[in-house]
Amino acid sequence: MTTFFKGVAILSIKELKDFFLSPLVYILTGCFSLLLGWLFFNYLILSKNHTALSLTNSVLRPIFGNMNFIFLFFAPIITMRSFAEEKKRHTIELLFLSNLSHLQIILGKFIGVFFVSLFMLSLTVLFPIILAFSGFTDWGIVTSSYLGIIFSIMCYLAVGLFTSSLTQNQIISAISGFAILLGLMLLVATGNATNNFIVTQIFQYISVAFHYEGFTRGAIRSFDIAYYLSFLSFFFFLTHKSLDSRNW
Amino acid sequence: MVAIKLSNVSKKYPGVLAVDDVSFSVKKSSVHGFLGPNGAGKSTVMKMITGLIPPTCGTIEVNGTKVGFLPEDPPLYLDMQVREYIKFVAKLNGVERADLKNKIDEILDQCGLAQVSKRLIGNLSKGYKQRVGIAQTLVYGPEIIILDEPTIGLDPNSIVEIRDLITSLKTGHTILLSSHQLHEVNLLCSDITIIKKGKIVGSGTIADIGKKLQAKQVINFELVNWNQEVAQKLSKSFPCDKIEHNKLVNSHAVRLFFYEEGDFKARLSRFLVENDCGLLAFKENELGLESIFKLVTEGKKQ
Repeated sequence: MTTFFKGVAILSIKELKDFFLSPLVYILTGCFSLLLGWLFFNYLILSKNHTALSLTNSVLRPIFGNMNFIFLFFAPIITMRSFAEEKKRHTIELLFLSNLSHLQIILGKFIGVFFVSLFMLSLTVLFPIILAFSGFTDWGIVTSSYLGIIFSIMCYLAVGLFTSSLTQNQIISAISGFAILLGLMLLVATGNATNNFIVTQIFQYISVAFHYEGFTRGAIRSFDIAYYLSFLSFFFFLTHKSLDSRNW
Repeated sequence: MVAIKLSNVSKKYPGVLAVDDVSFSVKKSSVHGFLGPNGAGKSTVMKMITGLIPPTCGTIEVNGTKVGFLPEDPPLYLDMQVREYIKFVAKLNGVERADLKNKIDEILDQCGLAQVSKRLIGNLSKGYKQRVGIAQTLVYGPEIIILDEPTIGLDPNSIVEIRDLITSLKTGHTILLSSHQLHEVNLLCSDITIIKKGKIVGSGTIADIGKKLQAKQVINFELVNWNQEVAQKLSKSFPCDKIEHNKLVNSHAVRLFFYEEGDFKARLSRFLVENDCGLLAFKENELGLESIFKLVTEGKKQ
């Protein structure tokens, strides 16, 4: 078991070095922080007018909603080169011929992009701290919101890794990643349009946003966690199949 | 002792039979040349031996701990330093932490990379990149090394250096290297396998293959009259493999390659006289290895 995780660690450390030595991460983090900082400022100013609402409802929840939406676009950009570039440069053969199993390769790549996302996310910790100066004390909801966003990001990254494993082209990888993630989000709209209760429920349940919403209200529900874990496993499984397809 | 043994291996891609019923073996501690023109299926066979792609049918036996493989496009991370890259490959392949430093130093020295160990791979010349590619195959100590066209696209000096490097690896390793240049294989290898359009043309020691193929005859003659009609008639009445024709100032130089053994000289001269070709000169030639290779890989069997 330790050798399994040692192998994963070797790859993810290499991935992280790659990321932090290239400009992409810093550009993405810069854009992400700028967008969110701007929105945070707006919500904060607006919250003066909503005296009936708490800071949680007028600032924190919309901010976390936006964070989720922005990551929908950023996650495929983070993951786009993971497998696509290795395929293009033929370095994937190096990984295939090494002692690592496909699962180790996927987990290594995943942990790499996950830590990059955490790095991007880490700057947003400033927001609740700033709110705390004006008497904000709802730390429970901050925790559950972060838990929710981390789970959602993991799902987006898993989808991005899958699309990256399908192609040699990073742009195709990123765009098909967006397509899948947006499609998942639009399922809710489609479900509502059908006027059929069961269909709406099913579509809602498949969509990531529905499960994330619970977390931003402070509700950590076991079925949401079960959903996230099965979503992750499903896309890891697809990526595994995609890497295995050279044997078909 | 056999290091690699292929029995009836085929590989089908949709619509193409890339490798067709290939069988050959590589002796342990030998340098085996795998020879063929571009697109003959060399790379496919090599990838199948390493296990990167599975054969459609047939069996491949590899007797050795691990196989070191240098594909045609070396799998290099261009934004890594040489030493860092070798270390990464070593770790990926389970080299123990205790041996890591010594092993890497040893490999860098052996491949002549010590002075560039801190440079980015992307900034190295092609010859050095190829060396890093070879170093990458050696670092976890495999017994069998497979090199796919290790000298392709290099300048003459680098080619000599890479060849010297391969020669220095002879002891303690079984090497299978592919090439489309016969003289290179002749320099480095003891055994060769020639492949053409996915099929094995010959396999064995260089001497054996030479003997087997040298039995073929080449006859040069000079004629006054030569036309397509005669050429067709000639190829119908003689089992010749290939006809080469060059127009000289006021005669024609014709070269016949014979597919079978036998004495055709008397019959041939009679044929040419009967067809009123105006026979001026007639000479039998020996075939060098280079022309044999050219013949078996390009010759059309008529």
